[in-house]
Amino acid sequence: MPLSRRDLLALSGGALAASTLRPSVARAQTPKPPDAGARRGGTLSLRTWDPPHFDPFQTISYKTHIALSFTHSRLLKHKAGPSVVPGTFVIEGDLAESWSQPSETTYVFKLRKGVRWHHKPPVNGRELTADDVVYSVNHFLTVKGNANAYMLKSVAKVEATDKYTVKFTLKEPFVWFLDMLANPLAVAIVAREVVEKHGDLKKHEAVVGTGPWMLDAYRPNVGLSFVRNPGYVLAGLPYIDRVEMTVDEDNASRISAFLAGKYDLGWEFPGTINRTDWVQIKDTLKQKRPNLKTVEYPSAVMSHLSMRTDGKPFDDVRVRQAMSLAIDRKAIIEAVFEGVGVLNPPVPAALREWSIPIDKLGDGARYYRYDPTEAKRLLAAAGYPNGFPATMCFTTYGSTILVDSMQLVQKYLKDVGIDAKLDTKEYGAYISTCFYGKFDSMTYGPQTGFLEPDNFLFGQYYPDELKNQSHINDPVVADMLVRQRRTADVAKRREIIFDIQRHLARQQYYVQMPSGVYIGVWEGALKNYAPSFGYDYGGRLMAAWLER
Amino acid sequence: MLRRYLVRRLLVAVPSLLIATAIVFTLPRLIPGDAVQLMLAETSYAKDIDELRAKLGLDRPFHVQYVEWIGRAARGDLGESLWTRRPVVQELGQRLPVTAELALYATLIALLIAVPVGVLAAARQDSLSDYVVRSLAILGLSVPGFWLATLLIVLPAIWWGWRPVTGFVEFRADPLGHVVQILLPAVILGVASAAALMRLTRGMLLEVLRQDYVRTAWAKGLAERAVVIKHGLRNAVIPVITLLGTQLPQILGGTVVIETIFGLPGVSRFLFDAINQRDYPVIQGVNLLVVSTVVLVNLAVDALYAVLDPRIRY
Repeated sequence: MPLSRRDLLALSGGALAASTLRPSVARAQTPKPPDAGARRGGTLSLRTWDPPHFDPFQTISYKTHIALSFTHSRLLKHKAGPSVVPGTFVIEGDLAESWSQPSETTYVFKLRKGVRWHHKPPVNGRELTADDVVYSVNHFLTVKGNANAYMLKSVAKVEATDKYTVKFTLKEPFVWFLDMLANPLAVAIVAREVVEKHGDLKKHEAVVGTGPWMLDAYRPNVGLSFVRNPGYVLAGLPYIDRVEMTVDEDNASRISAFLAGKYDLGWEFPGTINRTDWVQIKDTLKQKRPNLKTVEYPSAVMSHLSMRTDGKPFDDVRVRQAMSLAIDRKAIIEAVFEGVGVLNPPVPAALREWSIPIDKLGDGARYYRYDPTEAKRLLAAAGYPNGFPATMCFTTYGSTILVDSMQLVQKYLKDVGIDAKLDTKEYGAYISTCFYGKFDSMTYGPQTGFLEPDNFLFGQYYPDELKNQSHINDPVVADMLVRQRRTADVAKRREIIFDIQRHLARQQYYVQMPSGVYIGVWEGALKNYAPSFGYDYGGRLMAAWLER
Repeated sequence: MLRRYLVRRLLVAVPSLLIATAIVFTLPRLIPGDAVQLMLAETSYAKDIDELRAKLGLDRPFHVQYVEWIGRAARGDLGESLWTRRPVVQELGQRLPVTAELALYATLIALLIAVPVGVLAAARQDSLSDYVVRSLAILGLSVPGFWLATLLIVLPAIWWGWRPVTGFVEFRADPLGHVVQILLPAVILGVASAAALMRLTRGMLLEVLRQDYVRTAWAKGLAERAVVIKHGLRNAVIPVITLLGTQLPQILGGTVVIETIFGLPGVSRFLFDAINQRDYPVIQGVNLLVVSTVVLVNLAVDALYAVLDPRIRY
């Protein structure tokens, strides 16, 4: 039976609290039996994006990682299916059959036996061993240009203790370690021979994994085809024989293709349809595709206003609070999210286990209200009765939603006297400057929709972290950030994370904007599927089947 | 004589190509944010950026990189894509036929529409058919290709649940399906060119039809068809051919949007992605190809003058 992260950490946390010397119980996971009523066969059609290349260790691009979620395995993965609530991430074994945590800094994984590489050269279906996992982790940590390496920077050593056992030793306790391993951005297990043959994994010929599907064809700018891996370790899975993914870069083309029944999932990431498009086509869809299923859940992508808190005027907390009070978040939801959205504290509401409800923020909750009068009063108290001029660095990301929300933010700031001149940059220029905090005044933009709160909090608030855009150096926050990383007990950790959010709500180092609510859409003939966040399309479809 | 002229033109084209390549080489590098920053994107560290830049040879001075590239290009080696590590020549070889086919069909469609309709409008000046044709030409010039393409894709899907094939159909796999797939985007691309060509055909033919030798032809009692087509059109068509030569860059420019909307894996989309990714070797390779094509097409147009009009000698 798979154990949830909560169960797992509660167990290990309890054990550690009692005695760090006591060995923890091994968590076993039995192979999943075939699902009742499941059918083999069929072709699933999806819209996709053309991967820049296929090396998972050389890009953070969702285009690459979505494609590889069909072909590559990880040690752990997130449980998928209709029983999983979107925004919760239950960990289960992928290549790991079971795992244990003998000490705060040691993790031991027992691998499934009989896992075989795809029948492609140069591995030709040989058995996967612990050495492959060790090689992949070390390659992930040491190869130049891996922007995701930070996820496992707590790892001091990884070793194969026998053919099917891998032991990790961490430099210090890091309770999010299992979550990082389960994240589809982290270590895809690759074969040394493939890397050595191709030099890296960029070419499509190098897409050789142990996952449920194999890459059958890649046609640049056209699409990818995957076929069922007959030797997949979980007998009977996957059920779907073929996955056809079409590169479709034009929204009108995507809409027409979906209306015509060419795609089985919503065409936007992650299998959704933008609400603006949805509003326009939902009545037509009722006639053309009456069997569609939908589910709505908040997006983890959150925009925020960052500012130079290491200098005037943003070093004054009253100025930051005033800026938050100046923003009418509900009006933004009405204007850009078709009236359906959620307010976000520092951890986006989408991460429902870790995000504190706004009304539980305590004193800080008031700064999420729209109160321009109070904003002006605070600005006057801070010595800016007439506001002040500022600049706002921005890039569009090609998103009209982002542009619309930015214009509203600019307008609301102007209403209280903050005249923010727009400094629009091209994407590359924005990423290399403003995204890393290289700006003089303010920046407005979205944050990656991470799957764990640590990624949202540590990077943005810990002193000298690369993505600490607001240049925050707050010892109170820094202490809590480190503590939560060392607190295995989930309930206690959650309380620390809630405390962090309460503190940050008062400080308003970043002014958080609301998020939209995804509309996950899929063809009714696709059974045992449910949408969620993240790039793991393959994981979500592995146990799904088609009835048509 | 013609050969000497062509050789002279080719020699003159060399500095043009060099200047064009120098511009193409320099401009993408002046845009803030380079390929390495985009590769490492949002979670990179300064140390990684410097090391990867050195690994890809992007840390060397511009002129060193340019001289090295132009030397290799002269030997037919356009380098490797920074992202996919595939040879640019190989990538172009896969994509060029799609764009060339699209541009060829679009040009043919433009000619097939423009010349007969232009002749008809000139021969029936100020008649109802002339007014209709001129109005359609204005419409053809005014309607943006992407708008037309969007309508042609979305409306059938809403009305009948039908849309053109998604994904590219290769000729080898399904010749008929392939041609049908290319035809719709080619018509959209061809319409705007046809409008411009038609207006010029009509205007030039009207001018020619007022010449004395045409009046003589009429006086000799020649049939209208012989007067208009044989005596009139042949002399009116030279500026049309010139315009056709200048339409090629426009058609190629138009293919960026059209290839994206119709999911065609052509050179234009390849270039568009490369610019977004700052994939310098690809940007340089594609542009070198486009500049060379434009130079060669214009050369061909010049050569065609002599064929169409025996009085023209080089």
